[in-house]
Order: sequence, then structure tokens, then C-alpha cells
Amino acid sequence: MELAVEMLAITKTYPENNIRANEAVDLQLRKGEILCLAGENGAGKTTLMKVLYGMESQDSGTISIHGRKESITSPLVAKGLGIGMVHQHFMLVEEFTVAQNVLLGIEPVRFGISYDQKKANALVNEVIARHHFSLEAGTLVKDLTVGQKQQVEIVKMLYRDADILILDEPTAVLTEQEIEALFTTLRQLANHGKSLILITHKLHEIKAISDRVAVMRQGRMVGIYETTRMDERNISALMMGKTISLEIAHAEKPQKSLPVIVFDKVTVVRRGQERPLLNNLSFTAYSGEILGFAGVGGNGLGVVEAVLGGFIPTVGGRILHHESEITNMNTAQLRKQGLAYVPSDRLRIGSAAKATVEENIMVNASHMFTRQGFIDKKKSASFTERLLASYKAKATAQMPINTLSGGNIQKVILAREIEQYQDYIVFSEPTWGLDVASSQFVYEQMAELRDKGAAVILISSNLDEILTVADRIIVLYHGYRVASFAGKEARNLSKEEIGEYMLGIRRQGTLHG
Amino acid sequence: MAREKKLARKTIRTFVREGAAILLILTIALVWVIILSLLLSKTPAKTLGYFFLGPLQNTYYFGNMLNGSIPLIFGGLGVSLAMRSGNFNLGGEGQIYSGALVTTLCAISLAPLGIVGAFLALVLGALVAGALAGVSGFLRMQWNTSELITSFLLSNAVVLVVNHLISGPFLDPSTSLMATRKIPEAFRLPLLLPPSNLSMALPIAILAVVVVQLYLYKTKSGYELRMTGLNPFFAKYGGIDTRRYMVLPMVLSGALYGLGGGLAIYGTYYASIKEFSSGMGWNGLAVALIAKSKPTAVIPAALFFAYIEAGARSAMLHSDVTFEIAAIVQSIVFFLISSEVLLNLFTKRGKQ
Repeated sequence: MELAVEMLAITKTYPENNIRANEAVDLQLRKGEILCLAGENGAGKTTLMKVLYGMESQDSGTISIHGRKESITSPLVAKGLGIGMVHQHFMLVEEFTVAQNVLLGIEPVRFGISYDQKKANALVNEVIARHHFSLEAGTLVKDLTVGQKQQVEIVKMLYRDADILILDEPTAVLTEQEIEALFTTLRQLANHGKSLILITHKLHEIKAISDRVAVMRQGRMVGIYETTRMDERNISALMMGKTISLEIAHAEKPQKSLPVIVFDKVTVVRRGQERPLLNNLSFTAYSGEILGFAGVGGNGLGVVEAVLGGFIPTVGGRILHHESEITNMNTAQLRKQGLAYVPSDRLRIGSAAKATVEENIMVNASHMFTRQGFIDKKKSASFTERLLASYKAKATAQMPINTLSGGNIQKVILAREIEQYQDYIVFSEPTWGLDVASSQFVYEQMAELRDKGAAVILISSNLDEILTVADRIIVLYHGYRVASFAGKEARNLSKEEIGEYMLGIRRQGTLHG
Repeated sequence: MAREKKLARKTIRTFVREGAAILLILTIALVWVIILSLLLSKTPAKTLGYFFLGPLQNTYYFGNMLNGSIPLIFGGLGVSLAMRSGNFNLGGEGQIYSGALVTTLCAISLAPLGIVGAFLALVLGALVAGALAGVSGFLRMQWNTSELITSFLLSNAVVLVVNHLISGPFLDPSTSLMATRKIPEAFRLPLLLPPSNLSMALPIAILAVVVVQLYLYKTKSGYELRMTGLNPFFAKYGGIDTRRYMVLPMVLSGALYGLGGGLAIYGTYYASIKEFSSGMGWNGLAVALIAKSKPTAVIPAALFFAYIEAGARSAMLHSDVTFEIAAIVQSIVFFLISSEVLLNLFTKRGKQ
């Protein structure tokens, strides 16, 4: 069997924090196969791929590409060898067209100086057509959906004749439909002889797309397996080192349900835009239950989050916290009212990358350690250490938070918000990019809060998550509430059925409750 | 314990690495002094001797050099504080100049109050300069105007107004200088190294560094200011009143500039002389950029700037080069440090 990539005994230690991210890792990628690289957060998957792509240099070990030993010192060298990578966070210029993005740095030129737009669009459209993408070379990237932006990234690689493609968590931000389309594309690429590595930890996706699965745990390669011989349970077991199930108990009967947060016909409009982002949305979040918001991206989930968090103003309707009105309060005021909130954008909103873990943890609690304007460092340090320990976050108080893995950053945020919650707490996309164990941890925390009597609001585009965790479900479509499910109905809901509401194919007649 | 040791070792490592980078940059700058002297001077050896050793050859030159660093320390602190909050204060020129004038005039009219009057005059000068910078912060808070532009424009206008006030209504007709009347003798700061100009303003400047450092790292307000600067979305999300930190740091920044101006009057000039502070505001900005907005690093950065200037002045007096050599060397250092290329050479290729 011809090997596209062979990595042997790769070891990589990060000097900044002395973490051995890869230890004597072997990896073989066969020509024309799709290989899923699976593992928990911090297992070393991304580091290994960064080494392959020349973004990190290994301490020891060798890499062969198509049977030839190569020293990949930079992404430029990697590109020259036909290796392409799509990062989790897209690297696109929003104000440029698709063609301009694809051809960045290798633009076709007319008369030696001017950018040849016609030729550029033709070149790129040709690649788009060959691989059946739903793109148009002349569109501005900022007008594309997330799924289309990802396609642009893939076209970028293909245009440069990459035949070894690395995709870092490609499905993290996609809807079910977009994921399906992506998988079809990837399958076609493999059939055309391209070799692909997907970093992922979604078990059913591994089953759906990969030929083989390579499992990493704590910086080591556990093994590479034929996917057909594995089921989700034993892949999970290899990743964890133990078997776990992703289930939490639903609230049997809410002990005493009090309305905590009430939305009364809330409407949100973006300036200069006709269609409201939220349209007369009414709902009540009760104590002792997890209220789930489901929807496809762009249908109002993010808006509900932003309104609850005090980031955007409403133009109509009222919001009540218990009996008191909290409509259009800013975040600081809402915090005083008892808002605790785990935002979807952990890096841009939920944390300050260059600040230390301690500084990140005390942002909503600094008053607790302040005496006459001065911060009691001893108190804040012991507070931080206590939270880190009880949430089992692998971090120390004085590390900059951007040296932590995604799962540990989320643990820090969870610890901070749960510690300060009073009677309601908002979770938005709480397990994006987290591995199974971390996700399970998040769900347990949510269930515990619910059982303690909190009103938990979960906003999530991950259907599995909504169906697993939520006691009551509200579906949003185009800013409207199109369906709601409670009790038994919610528990027995099938993915297909709720999907039809999310896509606007069906809607319930009465929209109250 | 082991963890703390590791952290300490890591801190030392970064410290050494950054130190090595700075040393390299200084070496490059000094090599340029040599090259420029060889090119421009007929007696390069003599020029270099005066350039490097001139500022150190006697207490007069040495004291004057230290004295020259004082306004740079205040300016550097002011800019650093603003930058830490994500604000840019480009109005140092106007703030230092107006602070100095207000302090001078108040000092003259508050002479009967003695030490209290001296203190009040300084505070009033700082307040006026702080308010001047605060206007830019307020405009940003209300209408999202760029504080970088407004502070710069405002400062340019204020410099002209102060020029007019000095050469018009408040001109002291008894001297041939374009200057106001002198402040009372009793208000003048004692000299530390006579016959040089170095005054008690230097310990006050060092005290200001300590205060700013404590404010940033030990107080709640300083913490909130830094978080706002690091990530304003995060700060707002965390419940910090970010609007406050559009205005407050600008006011403090202007006040530090103004205090620098006032102390220059108390310690060195004794009267507001037309254009006396010209360039101090910009040099303060450069010092803050070299110091990477770290209050404690402002002192060495200011000393270095002052040393280069004193060296160039000495070489100019005793040899055949012009003062511009100082500006060239300062800008080389400025470019090398703010471009971060060389600094990154010493920090290993990290996560991207």
C-alpha cells in the first residue's frame, strides 16, 4: 500500500509550559484514504498536524512524504510538498471575493501590473465546477455562509494542487446539511486520489466518513484502526481509556417551578435590515429546568444569546427577571441582577487571551477580593486555586489563559460563571470543540444546577446536545418561534422531526407556552 | 511548590531572553553611532569619545542627563497607562505645555499659601492637562470618535493657544525672553547635583512610576483598566463598565503629562518659556513604546533616550557633528523595538 505520509517517532515539547504534546508518535496516511485523527482535547492531535504542516518543528522524529524523507520547516515548504490545511478558524479576507481569496499571492496579472479579474474568476470557477461546490468566484466572502467559507478554504488548497489535505475540526461550525455536503465532497476528493486527515472527536462522524481512525491519548498514539471494525463505543473507550456514556437524567418532575426569566413579545431589528432578527419572541424560563433553544445557525440563536447577555438592544417587547423589568440593561447591570453566562465565543468574549487564568476567573468577582480599592492577591489566588481544583482544570493561576487547551479554557469559564450564578444561567454552544469527556462534564454541571433549582437556558445548534440535555425545547426559524416541546414529547422527539421544524418545513399552529 | 519554582524559572528565562534582545538592539544602535561618526565627522574618535563618555564625564553633564529623563518618565508613564487600557494619547505636546503654563500661573498667584500653594498649583496643572485628554476620551465614549485623532488635533490647537498666552497676556516684560514671570523662589525644587539642573523632581518621577505600577497591578480599577485594554468585549461581558475606561485612563494619562510639565517648571525652568517643552510629548510616546507600556521599564527607556540626547549634545559642542545624530539613533532603536522582529528572534517559534 502506497503511503502519502509517514511520520515516525515524532516528539514535541512546548518549552513555554514544558508540556510534552507528542511523544514518539507514529502516523501513516495511505494514498486516497480518509483518516480521522481522534482524541480528547489536549491529546496532541493539533500539535501533530502542526508539525506535519510546518507550523511547529518537532524535537525528534522523521516525516516522509510519498516515501521521501522531508524536512518541513514552514507551511511554505509544506505547501510545496502538496500539503494543505484548513484551520478551525478560517483564514480568509472577508472583504475580498472568493477568487481573490483563492488566488491570494498568485494572482493572474494583466500587462504586468493589474489584477486580471476575468481570468481570476474563470480559473477559480473552473476548480469550483470540477469539484461541484456551490460557490461563485465573484461573491464577496463576507456574504457567504460558514459552510461556504469552508468550501473556499478547500478550493484554496485544491487550486494549489494539494494532494494531502488536513482539516482541523471541519464540522465544528457546520449545520447537519452542510456537514452532509462536506462529507460528499471529501469522499469525492478521496476517490480522486487525494489523501485526507480529519481532526475530529465526534464519534458518529468518524463512523460516517473515515476509512481508518487514528486514536491519540495524552500525547501518544493509541493505534490506527479500520473504521468498519470499530463502533462508537470502543472508539470512545480508546480515546478515554474507559467507557462512558453521554447521558444525563432528565428532571423527573420539577420540584417547584417559578418563572425566572420571561420574554414578552421581544423583537430585535438590525439597523438598515428589514427582516427582524427576532420576531415577537415570547417564552418563560422556569426554575429547576433546562430550557433548550434549537435552530440552524443564522435563525436567531445567536440573537437570543446576545439579548440575554445584554449585548444588543431590543426594539419591542419586555424582558422580566422575576417581577422586575430588565429590558435593555447592559451586561454590567444584568450581572448585578444575577446573570451568569457561558458565551459561545469563548476566545473573543469569554476570555482575555493574554491575561492570566486568575485574571480571567475574577472578572465577575473582583469585588469579592477588593478592600478599599485594593485587590487582596492572597484571597484571589486561593479562590482561583480552589476553582481550578474542583473543576479539574489542568492549569495554574498565573498561566496566560491562551496556553490552555480548549477544554480547559471552557472549564475555567464554567467555574467562573457557575460560582457566581444566583438563579439563572445561560449556556451558549457550551461544548463546541470539546471532547466527549469534557462535554459530559459540562452536561453534569448543567444537570446539577438544574437540580439545585436554577433556571438553565441552553442555546445550541448541536441537536444531539439539545435532545440529550434539555427538558423543554423551543425551535427558532427566521427569528420566529416555530415549535416547542415539553415533557415526554421532548424526550421522545426524533432528530428528523425536530430537523423539519429547524429547516422551516413544518411549524406548530399554536405558539404559546 | 515545585510548580512555583517552575514558574519562577520560566519568568527568569523570559527575562533573560528579553534582556538579550534589548542588548542586541542597543548594540546595533551604537554600531550606527560609530558608522555615522565615521561618515560625518572629520575626527571620528573624538566625536565618539564625547558622544559616549560626554554625558558621564562630570556631575554637570551627568546631572543634566538625568534631569532630561524626568519629563520623559512622566510622558512615558502617561502614554503607557492609556495604552494599557486600549487608548492612544497623542496629545502629550499640548498636555505637557498647558500643564506647565497652568502650574506656573497658579504658582505665581498662590505664592502667599506657601507649600500648600505649590502643591495646589501642581494639581491644577495636572487637572487641566487631564481634562484636556479626557475630552478625547469623552468624545470616544459618546460618539465613538477616534481618541488618537482628537487628542492629536486638540493638542496642536492648545499649543498655539499657550504660545499666544505666553507671548501675549502673560508675557513678563522685564526680560527679553518669550516667557511668563518666574515662580516664587520658595516653590523651586532643591537641586540634587549642583551645578547641574538635576532637581528633586527625579525622586518624584520615580515615585510616580511606583504609584502607577501599584495602581495597575494591585487595585481593582487598575485590573479593570488592563482587562478593558486586553479585550474590551471580555471586559464588558464580565460586567466591567468599559465606558468609564474610555475616559479615566485618558484623564490620568493627560494628568501625568501635565504633572511632568509642572515639575519641569518647579525644578528646571522656573517660568513658562515659549516652546520650552517642544518634542517632550513625542519623546514620551517613544519611551512608552520602547518600554512596551510597562511602567517599570519606562525608567530605563527614558534614561536611554536622555543619554543619547546628552551624548549628541556633548558631541555637537566639542566636535563637528550636528544634534540630528541623536534623532537618528533614537529612531533606529524605536524601529527595532516596535517592529518586534529582533525581539521575536529570541522567543522560540511558538504556537500560532
